Amino acid sequence: MSQRKKAVSASQNKTQRRSQLLLNESDEDATFSQITSSQVQRARENFTSDQIDRKVAEVVQFILIKDQKKIPIRRADIGKHVIKDYKHIYTDIINRVCRTFEQVFGLKLVETDPKNHIYILINKLEPIHGEPVSMRPENPKKGLLFVILSVIFMKGGVIKENLVWNTLKKLRVDPGEKHDEFGDVKKVVTDEFVRQKYLEYVKIPHTEPVEYEFRWGLRAEKEVSKLKILEFVGELFEQDPQSWTQQFREASTAGTSSQRTS
Amino acid sequence: MSDSRRRSRGSQEEPAGPSNGVGGRNRSERAAEMGEEDDIVGGPSGISEEDDDPTRRREIRSKYRDLINQVQQNREDMLNPANNKLTDVLEEANKLFANVRQAREAALDAQLLVLATDLGKEKASQLHAEGSAFDPSAFAEHLLSYMGLNRLEDESGQDGNLEGYLPQGAWQKLANRSEHCFKTAPSFHYMLGSFLAEPPPPRQRVERQRKVPGKEAKRIMPTQLKKMEESHQEATEKEVERILGCLQRYFADDSDEPISYYEFVIDPNSFSRTVENIFHTSFLIRDGLARMYLDNDNLPCIAPVEEGEVEPGGASIRHQCVISINHESWREIIDAFDIKDALIPAPEVLSQES
Repeated sequence: MSQRKKAVSASQNKTQRRSQLLLNESDEDATFSQITSSQVQRARENFTSDQIDRKVAEVVQFILIKDQKKIPIRRADIGKHVIKDYKHIYTDIINRVCRTFEQVFGLKLVETDPKNHIYILINKLEPIHGEPVSMRPENPKKGLLFVILSVIFMKGGVIKENLVWNTLKKLRVDPGEKHDEFGDVKKVVTDEFVRQKYLEYVKIPHTEPVEYEFRWGLRAEKEVSKLKILEFVGELFEQDPQSWTQQFREASTAGTSSQRTS
Repeated sequence: MSDSRRRSRGSQEEPAGPSNGVGGRNRSERAAEMGEEDDIVGGPSGISEEDDDPTRRREIRSKYRDLINQVQQNREDMLNPANNKLTDVLEEANKLFANVRQAREAALDAQLLVLATDLGKEKASQLHAEGSAFDPSAFAEHLLSYMGLNRLEDESGQDGNLEGYLPQGAWQKLANRSEHCFKTAPSFHYMLGSFLAEPPPPRQRVERQRKVPGKEAKRIMPTQLKKMEESHQEATEKEVERILGCLQRYFADDSDEPISYYEFVIDPNSFSRTVENIFHTSFLIRDGLARMYLDNDNLPCIAPVEEGEVEPGGASIRHQCVISINHESWREIIDAFDIKDALIPAPEVLSQES
C-alpha cells in the first residue's frame, strides 16, 4: 500500500517537476518579450564592447555545435545557456550573430517559427554542380530523405503515408524490417526527419484506423531547392523537367520567392 | 457498366445501397457474420434451388473478397497508367456477377465497385493534370537503376518478388547526388575534438620535460664546478709548491749566486708556460716564500726566503708590482739572456721523469 503511494507521489513529483521545467522555460522566453527600451539602453551602457564581442562569439559557437544534429535551436536555450545576464541586449547580439554567420561562415540563421522563436542554420551559398559539397561524405540518410521529399513534391505537396512506405519497399527499404544502413526506418522517417523539421507527419482527421500524411517540413522549405529536385527527377526519367508543368511552375515561383526574402 | 449488367440479367434484385470504401469493410464483416444465420434460416422465396446452393454462394463471396483484397493491397500498382490491372479486375467482377443471385453477393460486388471507381477517379485525375503524370513506381525503378541495382539472371518480373540486390554504397551514391538539392549548413566539428581536454596535457608534458633536464643539469653542474675548482686549486697549489721546490733546490746548489728572475720563469720553448710560471711565482712572492730584489745591474732576481725569515702575515713592507710580458719581449729576453733551457721544468717532463 505504502509502495503504491510512493509510486504515485513519485510520478506526481515527476510531472510537477516537468511542468515546473516547462514553466521555467516559458518564463525565460516570456522575459525576452517584456524588455523595455530603457532597459535595453541601460544594458548597452553596462557592458563593454569587448564583453559584447565575446558574447556574440559564444552564441555563434553555441549555435554551430547545436546545429550538428540538425535539430532546430530554441531561443530559450540560447538565453539559458549563453546569453544569461546579457538578456536585455539580446536583439543587438542576435543581429550581430546573424551578420557574423553571413559574412564569416556563409551561413544563414533563419527563424523558422517566429511565434516560438526557433532557429535553423542553412547554407547561404548554392552548391556547385559537380563539386563535392563538404569534405566528409554525405550521410546516406540524405538519399532516403531526398526520395521522400521528391515524391511528396511531385505528387502535389501532400501524400498519404502508404505511398511513402510502398515506394520505399520498392527500393528494398521496408519500414517493418531493420535496414542495414538506416536501422529502424520508420523511426528515422517519422521521428528523426520530423524533429529536424525536414518532414511533417500529420494525422488525417476522421480516419479509422488512424492514417497519417506527409508534407514538407519548415526546414525543407528553406533548405531544399524544388527546381533542383525537378531537374534530378527529369534526369532519372530522361524527361524535360518542364514537362511536369504544374511542378515546374511551383518550383520556379518557390525559387524566386526565396530569393526575394534573402 | 453495372447498369448494363443489371439490364442483361433482368433480375429484380438490386445491389445493396452505396457505401463508402472505408465502411464497406465493416459491412462485409457484418455480412459474413449474418451469413451463418442466413444459411440456417434458408434463402428467400421465389428463388430456385440452383441459385440457393450455399457452396456456390460461398465460393462467389470468397472470390469477391479476393478481388477486393487485391485492389486494396495493390492500390499503387492499379493506379499505374502503364497497366490495365484495374480493367482486368472489373472484367473478373463481371464474370462473377453473372452468377450472383442474391443480395449478399451483390453487396460484395457493390463494395468492389466502389473501390474500383475510387481508383478509376484517381487514375483519371492523373490524365487530367497538366503536363506529365508522376508515377512513384516508375520513379523507384529509375532510382534503382541509378543506384546500380544488380538484377539477377532469372528475374521473374512479378511484382510480389523483389529480385536483385543493391550494391554497397548505393544509398551513398544517391545521397551524394541529391546533396546538390540541399542548402545544408555543413556540420561544424572542432578539428581536434573536444576543446576542454586539450590544454592540460601539453602543459604537463612541457613541465616535465623542463623539470628533468633542470634537475640533471643542477646535479651535473655542482659536481663539475666542484671538480674544476678543486683541480684548479690543486693544480695551482701543486704547481706553486713545485716551483718553490725548484727554486729552493737551485738556491741550495749555489746559494751565493743570485737567480735571475727572467732566467727562472722563462721557458724558451713555450710562451704560455712562461706566463704560467710568472703567475705561479707571484704566489710565492705573495705568500712571502720568495722574494724579489734588484741586483747591481738593476735586473730582478728571485730568492727563496729562509725559514726563519718568513714572517707570518707578511708584516714586512709590501711592495706590489705588475709584471707583463708579451711575445715580443719574451723573444727579446730569450735572446738577451741567451736562455737555452727552462729552469722550471714543464709538468709533463716531470711526469715523464717520474
